[in-house]
Amino acid sequence: MTGIKEWLYRHTFSEKSIAPLIIFRILFGIMMFLSTLRFMLNGWVHDLYIEPSYFFTYLGFDWVKPFDLYGISLLFGLLLLSTIFIALGFFYRISTIVFFICFTYIELIDKTNYLNHYYFISLVAFLLMFLPANKGCSLDTYLGFTSKQEKVQAWSINILKFQMAIVYIFAGISKLNYDWLFEAQPLRNWLKHQTDLPLIGELMQYEFTAYLFSWGGALFDLFIVFILLNNRFRIYGYTLVIIFHGLTAVMFPIGVFPYVMIVSTLIFFSPEFHKNIVVWIQARTARKSKNKVQTEIKAATQNKGTISLLLGLYILIQLIVPLRYLAYPGDLFWTEQGYRFSWRVMLIEKAGYAQFFVHHPENGMKKLIDNKEYLTPQQEKMMSTQPDMILQFAHHLRDQYTDTVIIESNGAEINIKEPKVTAEVYVSLFNKGSRLFIDSDVNLSKIKRGFHHKDWILQNEN
Amino acid sequence: MSDLFKIQSIMRILKVFLFVGVVLLSFSCKKRGCMDENAINYDADAQIADNATCTYLPFEKTEMLSNICDNYIVPAYTNFNEKNIALSNSLSLFSSNPTVDAFEALKQTWKDALLSWQQVCFLDFGPAAFVILNNQVNLHPVDTDVVNNNISLGVYNLEQASNNDAKGYQALDYLLHQPGMSDQDHVTYFMSNGNAMTYLTDVVENIKYWSNYILTEWTTSYQDSFKSNSSSESNAQGSSISNLVNGLCYHYESIIRKGKIGLPLGSFNGFSQQEMPDLVECYYRQESLPFAIESVSAMKKFINGESFNTPENRLGLDDYINFVGATQNSSALSSIINSQIDLVIDKLGKLNDPLSNEITTNKPAVTEAYSALQQLVPYLKVDMTSALGVLITYQDNDGD
Repeated sequence: MTGIKEWLYRHTFSEKSIAPLIIFRILFGIMMFLSTLRFMLNGWVHDLYIEPSYFFTYLGFDWVKPFDLYGISLLFGLLLLSTIFIALGFFYRISTIVFFICFTYIELIDKTNYLNHYYFISLVAFLLMFLPANKGCSLDTYLGFTSKQEKVQAWSINILKFQMAIVYIFAGISKLNYDWLFEAQPLRNWLKHQTDLPLIGELMQYEFTAYLFSWGGALFDLFIVFILLNNRFRIYGYTLVIIFHGLTAVMFPIGVFPYVMIVSTLIFFSPEFHKNIVVWIQARTARKSKNKVQTEIKAATQNKGTISLLLGLYILIQLIVPLRYLAYPGDLFWTEQGYRFSWRVMLIEKAGYAQFFVHHPENGMKKLIDNKEYLTPQQEKMMSTQPDMILQFAHHLRDQYTDTVIIESNGAEINIKEPKVTAEVYVSLFNKGSRLFIDSDVNLSKIKRGFHHKDWILQNEN
Repeated sequence: MSDLFKIQSIMRILKVFLFVGVVLLSFSCKKRGCMDENAINYDADAQIADNATCTYLPFEKTEMLSNICDNYIVPAYTNFNEKNIALSNSLSLFSSNPTVDAFEALKQTWKDALLSWQQVCFLDFGPAAFVILNNQVNLHPVDTDVVNNNISLGVYNLEQASNNDAKGYQALDYLLHQPGMSDQDHVTYFMSNGNAMTYLTDVVENIKYWSNYILTEWTTSYQDSFKSNSSSESNAQGSSISNLVNGLCYHYESIIRKGKIGLPLGSFNGFSQQEMPDLVECYYRQESLPFAIESVSAMKKFINGESFNTPENRLGLDDYINFVGATQNSSALSSIINSQIDLVIDKLGKLNDPLSNEITTNKPAVTEAYSALQQLVPYLKVDMTSALGVLITYQDNDGD
């Protein structure tokens, strides 16, 4: 017991060089700047936040709205500015808060755009708000807004390592399932489209390659953190990181995620490694800084009880959230209950097709809805395979038709108070054939949103 | 003691050997091997699946693209263009010598040209999608008011989108089959009405312009980029395969299934689902089914990689689907798609023209045909696109 306690204490409160944190801040700022800029230059602000007329909000966050063109542009402007400030270490605390709020707000607007790496960025930004990553190589110290610091308590760096570990290890655990290991799905399907890759394309024709990639990927995710933690093997580990993420970047349209991981894993390198970079930066930028180096850690950060409690709470939440799917019956890949926020990356190949019907509650008349009238192609695609989004869209349709009078082209007057909404949805998982996804008779307008089990999802008969 | 000890240990070793032997024996009885029929090393005698050893012929995407380009798309557009030149020629004959015979010949060349359009309509990507070719040549229903207005004014610009529903084959359908007029009446009408004759000519020339445009686009620049354009990121958006699959799915769903049958049947008409028989294709000729059937049959040919002019069958989307091993209800997806298309053709074949009458007098049969058309949508849009790894990827995804 005392051994564990000691170990925990040492990894939380012993004094460590601040260098890794400084470098992490700078790289994070630069990466976020580039990825935000890329997002804007691709025109995605318009495509994802202006064009849609409806947004799939998260439960409890229905108040999050994209505003209008000016509102969302302002958000992105602030976001971009804060990334520059973070990289420069300028008004660091405010910048990280602004970044966290803007970024998280934007991500909360529409589930359609959920990506694990956005969630990762939100979490890192949240942590950075509490970390003294501006106490070196920053405008804040240069201008004397804050004092320089050589040392930080170990938790400031270890919590970031912990966060990386959570991402990899849970991604690894989620790969330990029958489809991934023994059917090599979905890679088996995906690799078959890759036979024209330069150099390695030849390999893609062998089924063996899919198994190799599947098992290799699972082992990599499970153990890479431990390799990176080891002084002797770190350099090999990092080589693996570059190869692994480099391969995924070449093969799949996953944007900046591989690069985010390649850069973020540098946090595992030794303080000396980071110090060398700090010295290199200082040699090129440093004039006499106005502040003395502060050798002791400030008293404010000395409240060890509170720090331990908060860290413990954060760690606990990070451990529980990805496991919440265990509380639901049924096939996780089919129902996707508890799927998001769980580091499940590239795990499933799923496609769907949904037709919605609004029924007159009394006379049995029903109208086929043209989804395109309400949703963008991307929204429609994501909605067709995810039950919670199907339900949300059904509710949106219900709201559109509640208490309406419609005069149709043949003069018929349709009077609706409480419409019934049903959906005929076909979904294919791992290319095993599309089949009915939810009970097409169930009146979705009466089903409540929530975290309870959705018993109107049909069994996957594969 | 020591002897006993020895015997015991020998026994133990023997037991181990026995166990290993039994295990080896039980494995050697059942032959291990690749049990996937699509693999080149498929082992018919194998009893234990060892599918990790399966080896497949690499699927030559570029070879497939070359085949469907050289043997279907370009010949089909060439034929489409030739049929429109023939249409234009027979119109010249008619205008220089307006007889009932010449008029009937004109109607026949019009029908041939429209049938040739059905064979290329679903190639709704690349240059065709860029100019929205469907709206240029075959937007329906025709707006007869605009047609008549254009004729009486004698001033119009067929390049304007507002005239899209007053030109193309559907405008010709109206002009050549005006209600209550015999062939002789039509001849008289065009002889006496110079504006009408000019309009007829302009509409035909406009179609001919577009068929020439699309053929030229393909034969000059687009075919090379089409054949080579395989993105490294799978079949991501912008790759030829993604373009053609998305175009085909879109056209089938919106123009063939919905436009040709679903809309006139009333399936999309609000709560009352009131039939709208005048929305059928070629309403004025009172003949719609051959066109619908031709579009679906041609699509089948295309999916199967058949050549346009000969019955040869080379690499097509069906082979690609087989290569991936996609299934539906444990049958090969390619055969499911083929039999569903056959079912569609069969159901449409059981209907009688005029379709506009059939919709009101024999609605159950039309509904049955529509259901068959509808069932094909998920097979194409879900199963085929997912099998071919065609993603709608206008932004990043992490595969979940």
